[in-house]
Amino acid sequence: MTTPTLGDDDHVLAGEYVLGTLPHDERRRVEQRLAHEPALQKAVEAWEMRFHPYSALAEPVAPSDYLWARIQRSLAQKTPATQAVKSAAQQASTAPTPMPKRARKGVWHSLPAWRAAAGLGMAAALVMGILLINPSSVPVTPQYMVVLMAPQTDSAGWVVQASTRQEIELIPLGTFEVPEGKALEFWTKADDWQAPVSLGLIEPGGPIRLRLDELPPLEDDQLFELTLEDATGSPTGLPTGPIEFIGRAVEI
Amino acid sequence: MPSPWPRMLLMRATLGVGPSSGSQGVTDVSTSCDHAALITRCAQGDQQALKTLYQHEGARLLGVVMRIVKDRGMAEDIVHDACLNIWQRADTFDPSRGSGRSWMFSVARHLALNAIRYRDREVGFDAEFSANGTDAEHDEGQEEGVSPSTPVSEAFDWQTGERIDECLKTLTPERRNCVLHAYVDGLSHAEIAEHTGTPLGTVKAWIKRSLLRLRECMA
Repeated sequence: MTTPTLGDDDHVLAGEYVLGTLPHDERRRVEQRLAHEPALQKAVEAWEMRFHPYSALAEPVAPSDYLWARIQRSLAQKTPATQAVKSAAQQASTAPTPMPKRARKGVWHSLPAWRAAAGLGMAAALVMGILLINPSSVPVTPQYMVVLMAPQTDSAGWVVQASTRQEIELIPLGTFEVPEGKALEFWTKADDWQAPVSLGLIEPGGPIRLRLDELPPLEDDQLFELTLEDATGSPTGLPTGPIEFIGRAVEI
Repeated sequence: MPSPWPRMLLMRATLGVGPSSGSQGVTDVSTSCDHAALITRCAQGDQQALKTLYQHEGARLLGVVMRIVKDRGMAEDIVHDACLNIWQRADTFDPSRGSGRSWMFSVARHLALNAIRYRDREVGFDAEFSANGTDAEHDEGQEEGVSPSTPVSEAFDWQTGERIDECLKTLTPERRNCVLHAYVDGLSHAEIAEHTGTPLGTVKAWIKRSLLRLRECMA
């Protein structure tokens, strides 16, 4: 799973990651590898250590008076890190919902982010088109539909169809390579839930049917996302890894 | 099939914060503040510890981030996010693997770098130059072709008194400038090429080789 020693290329890659010269997609690839490659992590840490003295070359800039107040307000909405993890884990082991009000609030509650994504109708239309000309993949007229987009590339990766409000089908539109030691975890959250609920780990490769028996019936605008988590799933019971695909249910 | 497809609301996340990049530092410049102990207290839920870190390092963090993102509002947003990250990820900090000061600066730097690289890709900047690095071969040729007739002046007053100075000193000024433009100013390969008037392939090769040289020297 991990290589004990790194080649020059990876040492250079780690150095470029720390310098900051890598383009966005390569940065993400390095970050994904870091999660499960201690040798690369060590190389990055070594570069951080080597270059850190040069952070002194940037002139200090006094923050606005209200920046700390803002940070404090944001902190107030979170419970301390370790306690939060503990309570989330306890919650996760007892009840699927509701979850404590914390964690990943930024993503799940970020209205501007959702609005920014509203302009992606073209891609959605394209996906719909694919489904229309390929009726074999639509056995029953779905009541709800979700297109899950990759936030980094704005490309559609999965479709969720629900022919009833208690059963959904997750259909891959392409291939997705899960990094070694990682897994895709599927989450959903309706507007009035306090936190997302895990629908389990997803094995990419084919359509997957899921019963939502323990959840309230599917509703319009319900969020779905796939995040990259440890192979055994999120340790906290809440999404912790990067969002790979995300979308919102639409009633048809 | 029903023909009028309903509105589609598609979502995208702002920033998926990646896994902890880890980090360390050679020395703590600010000796009046025990960063590691304060980060440990953050992990225990002590907000005063975060405030102390902010009071000590807020201006320097903002300075580092400002140099990279070059926008005051965005830089403050990033320092805000960095402080929340430091708070939430404090329990992942391992004092045996590096200095607390370097760890917290790395958190902020990588948030800043992610933000500008994400913006770069939105405008397609650097896209055709990115990826693979298979152009290393002809970089070699290009590099020899570039022989500035006038000596290149230092872009940075870079002597910090740390050990890495000795290693950075072994690089030619133009290569040293490339490395520091990247680390301090957050410039991409293409931006460094444009800024210094050096061919892109040469910049890439210089940085690559400078990294190998620095690693060897620091070993």
